[in-house]
Amino acid sequence: MAEGFRLRVCHRKTGRLRYLSHLELVRACERAARRAHLPYAVSQGFTPRMRIAFGPALPVGTAGEREYFDLLLTRYIPADEVCASLTAVTAYDLAPLSCSYVSGREPSLAAALTIACYDLDVKGGIPPEDLRHALDALLRAGTLSTEHKGKTKVFDLAAALPKEPEVRSSEDHTTVRLTVRMGEQGSLRPDVLVRTALGHDVPATVTRTDLLIDDKGVWRRPL
Amino acid sequence: MSDLWGRVDALLSGAERPSRYIDREWGAVHRPDAAYRVALMYPDTYEVGMANQALQVLADRLATLADVACERVFVPWVDMAAALREAGVPLFTLESCLPVSECDLLGITLPHELAYTNILGALDLAGIPLRAADRGEADPLVIGGGPAAHNPEPIAPFFDAILIGDGEEAVLELVAAHRSARRAGVGREEIVRSLARVEGVYVPSLYGAGPGGRLVASAGAPERVKRRVVRDLNEFESPACPVVPYADVVHDRATVEVLRGCSRGCRFCQAGMVYRPVRERSSDSIVRDAVAALTCTGHEEISLTSLSTADHSQLADVLRRLARRLEGTGIAVSVPSLRVDSFTLSLARLLGGGRKSGLTFAPEAGSQRLRDAINKNITEDELLATVRAAFGAGWRRLKLYFMLGLPTETDEDVAEIGHLVARVLAAAKEVTPPRERGGIRIAVSVSTFVPKAHTPFQWEGQLPLSGVRHRQAVLREAMPGKGVELSWHDAETSFLEAALARGGREMADVIERAWRSGAGFDAWTEHFSLTRWRAAFEAAGIDAETAAEAPFAEDAVLPWSHIDSGLAPAFLLAERRRAYGAETTADCTFGDCTGCGVCPSLSADLVLAGERRG
Repeated sequence: MAEGFRLRVCHRKTGRLRYLSHLELVRACERAARRAHLPYAVSQGFTPRMRIAFGPALPVGTAGEREYFDLLLTRYIPADEVCASLTAVTAYDLAPLSCSYVSGREPSLAAALTIACYDLDVKGGIPPEDLRHALDALLRAGTLSTEHKGKTKVFDLAAALPKEPEVRSSEDHTTVRLTVRMGEQGSLRPDVLVRTALGHDVPATVTRTDLLIDDKGVWRRPL
Repeated sequence: MSDLWGRVDALLSGAERPSRYIDREWGAVHRPDAAYRVALMYPDTYEVGMANQALQVLADRLATLADVACERVFVPWVDMAAALREAGVPLFTLESCLPVSECDLLGITLPHELAYTNILGALDLAGIPLRAADRGEADPLVIGGGPAAHNPEPIAPFFDAILIGDGEEAVLELVAAHRSARRAGVGREEIVRSLARVEGVYVPSLYGAGPGGRLVASAGAPERVKRRVVRDLNEFESPACPVVPYADVVHDRATVEVLRGCSRGCRFCQAGMVYRPVRERSSDSIVRDAVAALTCTGHEEISLTSLSTADHSQLADVLRRLARRLEGTGIAVSVPSLRVDSFTLSLARLLGGGRKSGLTFAPEAGSQRLRDAINKNITEDELLATVRAAFGAGWRRLKLYFMLGLPTETDEDVAEIGHLVARVLAAAKEVTPPRERGGIRIAVSVSTFVPKAHTPFQWEGQLPLSGVRHRQAVLREAMPGKGVELSWHDAETSFLEAALARGGREMADVIERAWRSGAGFDAWTEHFSLTRWRAAFEAAGIDAETAAEAPFAEDAVLPWSHIDSGLAPAFLLAERRRAYGAETTADCTFGDCTGCGVCPSLSADLVLAGERRG
């Protein structure tokens, strides 16, 4: 992204809107930008498109507390003004949380964001100890293979999980907190990890709580 | 009021495309404290139903009543319907996630015959008795309306009332009539009777079989129900803030209806007969409403819709003004339903400013004789000139619609389709630079003629399936082998459409039996089973072939004789005669009155925004 003002927007994707697919999210954000009358840049060519770029996609049903997109503007408008106009025309569950301009030279969000933090709320009264033991056993085994659309992916868990999973419990539910490194072969899905560890499906709601840039070992937010 | 969201939510992680069921789109209106609730249902999935403009218009009209809530309902896809049934969750509205059965009024669009089983499936999932006669005081009023209402009989027993014609005014009057009858403390029978006093409303329970197969009205109901007509569309703003779907719906764009009605007079076309007279919106109101809708929705495309948009007398002016307003935004203007004879190079240039989507024309028949018989007033020279203009201006994709089984059609007429397509392809190549010729796409889509009520062909029977298959073979033989994609509209579903569209009240048993044996989503090829329908016809003691194929005598009492579309029977008969003589009839918006009878009979008139030039 160049020749313009690159605005980075951090937004939520929560509540009912966690059921949006990535394509639906993209379209919803584009339409919000048009409703807000932002001076968005448009690509050249036969079918002109808004110059907007997103971070790593969330699976349908997974909420996100801090998701990001970059929008190229043709004219400078103070970031908090952009944020206010976007907020006024966006559903609460997709609302922007903060906006800021970033350098046109920075790598794309999709390339830069390599660390994802998740909270997985497990329902159905699974004792936290059982979860802890199951996860420990899986980590000791070292790898996890998944099957998606006929392709098998093998994750090296030491690389994919840069931090030990944490298991916390309160009265009515148990939360697994995971930090996942997204690599070339994509991202390890937290629900798949827990399902594999337990050996069966568990009803759970998954929230991506943070997306981070790994800057030579220092993790920071992109905004 | 019971909010079902928690129970619906629990089913969504296993559902296909869950965004269909979640509400919370931009523009969705929530009125939790409303005193009266209308559920508006389109009898298909969210993706299909959200494209329906009539529902947007009706919701917009209902929103003017401050204490009335209008909530959307669509038919859950097969997976979700099964999950809901298993979990004991009834059909719900999107906005409040409320059981449909708790609404005061359930309005159902009648888009076409293939949606009928979905209506029964939805009523059943909602826990509302299928037949009006079995409903009690607590059940919502079930009211239908839309294109298929022009022969209401096949579904009459399932509805408390059916609106024939335009809904802008009638929908408010229906709600008012219901509320005032309730205030008067009268029971359901009296309430339904009061609806019959609203102009354009047909209350099936007030009509019983009389001598000679004629339906006879009981006291207080009109002998014939006159179609409701809105005199001037300019009195109603096009919806400025329709709901913006998240899901990728059919026709995912903002729309403005630029005119209603079409009097080109194609003799097979029901819409061209029953939406008369032509009423154009002024260019000022079109531009104003288009910009308002784009501003409020953020859509990337605005579509100027109607039965024949290029016929609008001010279209060039509208397109120029919109192009100026939308410059640099990447927002495209699209014009569906272009007619060959009204497509011009200047129009092509105006549309070429945005994105070039494919062009679609409907010559309908291959030979000039047959085009004259159906009154499709276009010549081959006009078609070829238009193709040259469009491909010369940069278009590369063209879709052509044809019909098989038209009255008076012969094998030679059908072979002519193939020859015509070959000449279209040659004309397209001729004006396309050699290195771009590989990008030329000509798609030919062929459907089967379905005779429809209130048209000059309403007495005709449908060509038997074996005849359709024979003509398909003739056409396949005559088509150019290369450079054309040929597709067929399934002849079996057209057969069912004809059997239902020409039927009377006895057809309700067939529909109910088909639904009970598993029919649903009949418009979705993968769910359609003619075998199942044939069994339903047999069980109801009705011969499906006779229903679809036997012509009506010209003096017969037609199943829709009690519905007054405004068209003079003498006009329809005269048009039928002219069809057999391959004589054409002109369009009254370009010249003299053709005597169709609609204007005097419905006290309406043509509304043109300027002079039309033919």
